[in-house]
Amino acid sequence: MDLTSLNNSLRLITPEIILSIFLVIVVVVDLILKSNKKVIPYLAVLGFAVTGIVVISSLDSSGFAFITASTSSKQFGMFAHDPLGGFFKLLILSVSIFIVLFTITSSEIKQIHLRSGEFYALMYGMVLGMMVLVSAVDLILIYVALELLSLSSYVLAGFTKLRDRNSEAALKYMIYGVVSSGLMLFGISIVYGLTGTTNLYLINSLLQGPQINILTLLFAVLLIMAGVGFKISAVPFHFWTPDVYEGAPITITAYLSVASKAAGFALLIRVIQIGFVSFVGSDGFWNLIPVFDWKALLVLLSVLTMTLGNLSALWQNNLKRMLAYSSIAHAGYLILALATLSTQGVVAVLIYFIFYALMNLGAFYIVMIIADRTGSEDIDDYDGLGYTSSFLGVSLIILLVSLVGLPPTAGFIGKLYLFIAVLDAEMYVVAVIAVLNTVVSLYYYLRVLKHMYLTKASDSTQSVRASGGEKIILLLLVVPTLLFGIYFQPIVDFTKSCITVLGV
Amino acid sequence: MLTEFGKIFVFILLAVAFVGIAIFAAKLIRPHRPTQEKLTTYECGENPEGTPWVQFNIRFYVVALIFLIFDVEVVLLFPWALTYQDYGLYGFLAGIIFLVVLGIGMAYEWQKGDLEWARPKPNIPYLSNLIKKNTDQTSENIIVEQTETNQTT
Amino acid sequence: MDLYDIIFYLFALLTLVSAYFVVTNKNIVHSAFFLLFTLFGIAGLYVLLGADFLAVVQIMVYVGGILILLLFGVMITNKITNVSIKTGTIHIIPAAIVIGLFAGALASIMVKTQWQTESAKIPFTTSYALGKSLITEYVLIFEILGILLLIALIGAASIARREEKE
Repeated sequence: MDLTSLNNSLRLITPEIILSIFLVIVVVVDLILKSNKKVIPYLAVLGFAVTGIVVISSLDSSGFAFITASTSSKQFGMFAHDPLGGFFKLLILSVSIFIVLFTITSSEIKQIHLRSGEFYALMYGMVLGMMVLVSAVDLILIYVALELLSLSSYVLAGFTKLRDRNSEAALKYMIYGVVSSGLMLFGISIVYGLTGTTNLYLINSLLQGPQINILTLLFAVLLIMAGVGFKISAVPFHFWTPDVYEGAPITITAYLSVASKAAGFALLIRVIQIGFVSFVGSDGFWNLIPVFDWKALLVLLSVLTMTLGNLSALWQNNLKRMLAYSSIAHAGYLILALATLSTQGVVAVLIYFIFYALMNLGAFYIVMIIADRTGSEDIDDYDGLGYTSSFLGVSLIILLVSLVGLPPTAGFIGKLYLFIAVLDAEMYVVAVIAVLNTVVSLYYYLRVLKHMYLTKASDSTQSVRASGGEKIILLLLVVPTLLFGIYFQPIVDFTKSCITVLGV
Repeated sequence: MLTEFGKIFVFILLAVAFVGIAIFAAKLIRPHRPTQEKLTTYECGENPEGTPWVQFNIRFYVVALIFLIFDVEVVLLFPWALTYQDYGLYGFLAGIIFLVVLGIGMAYEWQKGDLEWARPKPNIPYLSNLIKKNTDQTSENIIVEQTETNQTT
Repeated sequence: MDLYDIIFYLFALLTLVSAYFVVTNKNIVHSAFFLLFTLFGIAGLYVLLGADFLAVVQIMVYVGGILILLLFGVMITNKITNVSIKTGTIHIIPAAIVIGLFAGALASIMVKTQWQTESAKIPFTTSYALGKSLITEYVLIFEILGILLLIALIGAASIARREEKE
């Protein structure tokens, strides 16, 4: 093994190495401390913060780690360290820090505090899986990282074991996830049989060759999309989402709805951009190798996902299920942005993800605070809550308005960039469908506000007071939502500098 | 290499044939006259009641689970063990990191008590209880009772 | 039709017949035992393909670990060993159409595609080459598999453990 290339590779995967060291430290500290486990969450936040600092400092360097394949002129590895990967890693790490802060105050986790050390160890496993997944360019590494991510999330979804709903959620998630991972592996094996290699760059050059059977490649890509679509909750692979989101502990629900989706989208962007793009035109549009019609597939998926997500959310009375269907709808919008197959589309996806993370985490946090105090997630128990807990009410107004996409919130900016990219690609019909879906989503988001402000509180609803720490965390999420609605240029500049993928 | 596996295959076939022929030949020769009483389950002369399936100790399952994970680790260590010496210190370190990570897993299972089996707790007698008990009886010997209660979950 | 082909068809028949019985048998313990034969048949197919290490791994891990775990899992839920599983299908026509399409697509793909092939070599022991690639090319995957096994250990034992009541 060439020592200099090994040193280079190790330097490029420093964030993952630090994360693994912290995982080991968390497990060992959990072993040593028998009953008082209060220090472990703070250790977890420290680990995420240190890794985040390392990622930021290495954001401008790029290169391949672990060279496995080479053509006559270039060398390709299995791990690509580039700004796109760095962006997603930062997003995932900051979401993870928020989730650990949520978990410290959550009453569901306090009930099982003796096992909470394992909770954080599993979260570290999930974050490590996601960090490797967003940078992997070899199909085997993609599969192993996807399995690491999925395995930890199956266990985390059923972690509390306190009610039947938890175990049911974990079981459904696991069965569905294992089947879709198996289908994805079958698709990967067919692609390997067609091209003889598992590296996405080499697959790109081999797909341009003359003897690729189109039908076989269609079959294989549909199978791979089964695996990817499961992670991003695209219809028709979305059936697990409402049940799992309703049954899992609410911090894990929030985590799955943002971070797991981000990792899935990073994977999709990489597979399309590295595997199927022959060159990028000067107007920013990708020219695909004409072996597979990605545009048709992505437009179909996005229309189905948006429509089904929004229409199903209209009937929900449980807030967690409603937010689950709304996250399916948001995944539909994101797939639409990707379906434009242009750099503007990828920029729109990244911007939308930052704002979606803020909005979704905030909404789930408020639902968590109310569920901890009143013990219910039903919308009828929110009657009159706007007057008794004014802080939560105002925050929820801002977050729900942002989720719809109205100005002056960050959600509006996200949707703005999305529609700009879609109209730039001249996909007018789909843009009209997306606008209609946004109008439909207005109803079910504002229904919550109607219950909070326009319905009289019944005698049994208690007033919910958020404690000081909870207020600070909520302010950290709500204030940027308002701020970025007005002053969003730094975010746009940051994402525009992050979209370069290595070697394309 | 295929001839080596062929030898194993012939061995397996012979083992299956051995058992099969033995049972089949016995079935041909022995008499087959079942009556109602002969077909009931044998339980040392008593009449069997209820179902023979008892409540399973969950420790079996947890131990089998831990065994499976370490089995996969051993399987991954086999090829490493064959080749690490060709790569000097680097090859050694690659495997040692793998082993240390799984060693921490082992320590974790040990500490959490997954490797404990149910142990009988001896019921240690207290003298004052026995004197109270035996004042009613006329016996002169103090019978020391030591009962072992088996704790099964 | 030489010896190699005969043994291949033998193992393929064993695998398919056992798999059929796994799916259709009404007693779940019998299904688990037929799964044993299916996995064993697959190990034989691996040997015929020249992957000797993989065949031994299949027997060690699948038959010697996963099947045992499966049987323990079946025996723990002792109420279901005497209950027959309903294996009747509800929507036969749509299922038959979808399965027919899928099987037809698979068959045409398997036969008509030009797969990337190499010239056939005499089978050799693969463990040494596997070890070399685990240390040089795929070392990142090797280490991530270690962490994956650690996470699986912690997670599975956390779910399966019965907590002591305080």
